[in-house]
Amino acid sequence: MALETSPAAPAPVRQIANAIAGWVDRLGAVWVEGQVTQVTRRTGMATVFMTLRDAVADISVTVTCARSLYDSLDAPLVEGASIVVHAKPSYYPTRGTISLQAREIRMVGLGELLARLERRRQLLAAEGLFERSLKRPLPFLPTRVGLVTAPGSAAERDVLENARRRWPAVRFEVAYAAMQGTRSCAEVMEAIARLDRHPEVDVIVVARGGGSVEDLLPFSDEALVRAVAATRTPVVSAIGHEPDQPLLDLVADVRASTPTDAAKLVVPDVTDELRGVAAARDRLRAAVAGRVDREQAGLDALRSRPALADPRSLVHARVEEVAGLRARARRSLGHRLDRAADDIGHQRARARALSPLATLQRGYAVLQDTDGHVLTSVAGVAAGATVSVRVADGRVHATTTGVDADPLETDGGHDG
Amino acid sequence: MAEPTAGTTDVQELSYEAAREELVEVVRRLEAGGTTLEESLALWERGELLATACQRWLDGARERLDAALEGDQEQDD
Repeated sequence: MALETSPAAPAPVRQIANAIAGWVDRLGAVWVEGQVTQVTRRTGMATVFMTLRDAVADISVTVTCARSLYDSLDAPLVEGASIVVHAKPSYYPTRGTISLQAREIRMVGLGELLARLERRRQLLAAEGLFERSLKRPLPFLPTRVGLVTAPGSAAERDVLENARRRWPAVRFEVAYAAMQGTRSCAEVMEAIARLDRHPEVDVIVVARGGGSVEDLLPFSDEALVRAVAATRTPVVSAIGHEPDQPLLDLVADVRASTPTDAAKLVVPDVTDELRGVAAARDRLRAAVAGRVDREQAGLDALRSRPALADPRSLVHARVEEVAGLRARARRSLGHRLDRAADDIGHQRARARALSPLATLQRGYAVLQDTDGHVLTSVAGVAAGATVSVRVADGRVHATTTGVDADPLETDGGHDG
Repeated sequence: MAEPTAGTTDVQELSYEAAREELVEVVRRLEAGGTTLEESLALWERGELLATACQRWLDGARERLDAALEGDQEQDD
């Protein structure tokens, strides 16, 4: 039902006010979450006025509720408390203001708070913001460490001191932000964004000391979690003590239990590193020295083997062999000679026995012509023939003067 | 037993492992015997050459190692 108005036919204020009231009513009753920043409850007034502020944005709205409702709350509403209100927005034409008429107020008690946190965690987890695969490794040695913390806080001191003790050359880029209260979430997000843009910063630490669940609530805020998920630089969450687990811990690339622990995670310990390098060098040398020693021992063993160390042993064996052979050769030769000598002696004896020498020695002589033939008959021997006579000890050369034939014998006898 | 006579490649070209292996073989054959006198002498001479080559390899390695160690001593002083 758009309202036709024109400069000529303007609508009266009351008509506009009623129209606005009508539109506002169309929103109907809603559940609203916010943080109570101001409560005005005056005795004698039937309604209590509150200012409810958005958890993140700097937007607030006034909430009115009946005093009876306000008093019926189990825990008194205190400034800073988070509440969930079931209210119907309404427009008051007389003053032209809008306020939420609260019908039901629920304290965001600790249990409920945690319950809501859990639901938010599941929601974000379902979106995959906490996936392990998204976790980026921290640089081993960062060029510059970004630090989001409260100015002059214990957390800041812990991170700076511990990091510098481990790696004196570490450089920091500190972005201060409120780590408590309504402003903290927005400031932290803004600080993170600034560090993320900083070219040299290659790791961002968000550090805060311990606190109650409410204190740490900003670090479970959905907007902050989404912002951290979107950063390019790895983020280390160091919020509260060991048991505290704001959602920031889940979305950060690395969760440090405390600010001091965060310092240990972002910079290596120079003394450890130096010791590591020295140890590696020593092991390197020991390995090579060990290898050379083993090879040397092997070689020495080979060289000490008789075959190499004492070549004479080779020749010596041969010399002995030869000597042995020689001795055997001599012995066998000796035997053979002896036998030969016996044989010769034997042969000689037999030759002697058969030889005419003995006969000659008994006075006989053998007559031979010039050709050496033995003359056994006078026939054919003429006077003046040269002959030689073999006697025992030599030979006589003579020439015949004459020959006498013996009377012929009948049996032709002969002698050898 | 027509075993080849002692290796002929020049000892200098052999790698340390090759020289060492041949040296072990020479010693084995000498100790096994059955080689002619001529061969044993040739084997023995070859053995000496191989042993010297191996020793030179090891001395070289040790020198390089000691050099690295001295390099440190100077730095540490």
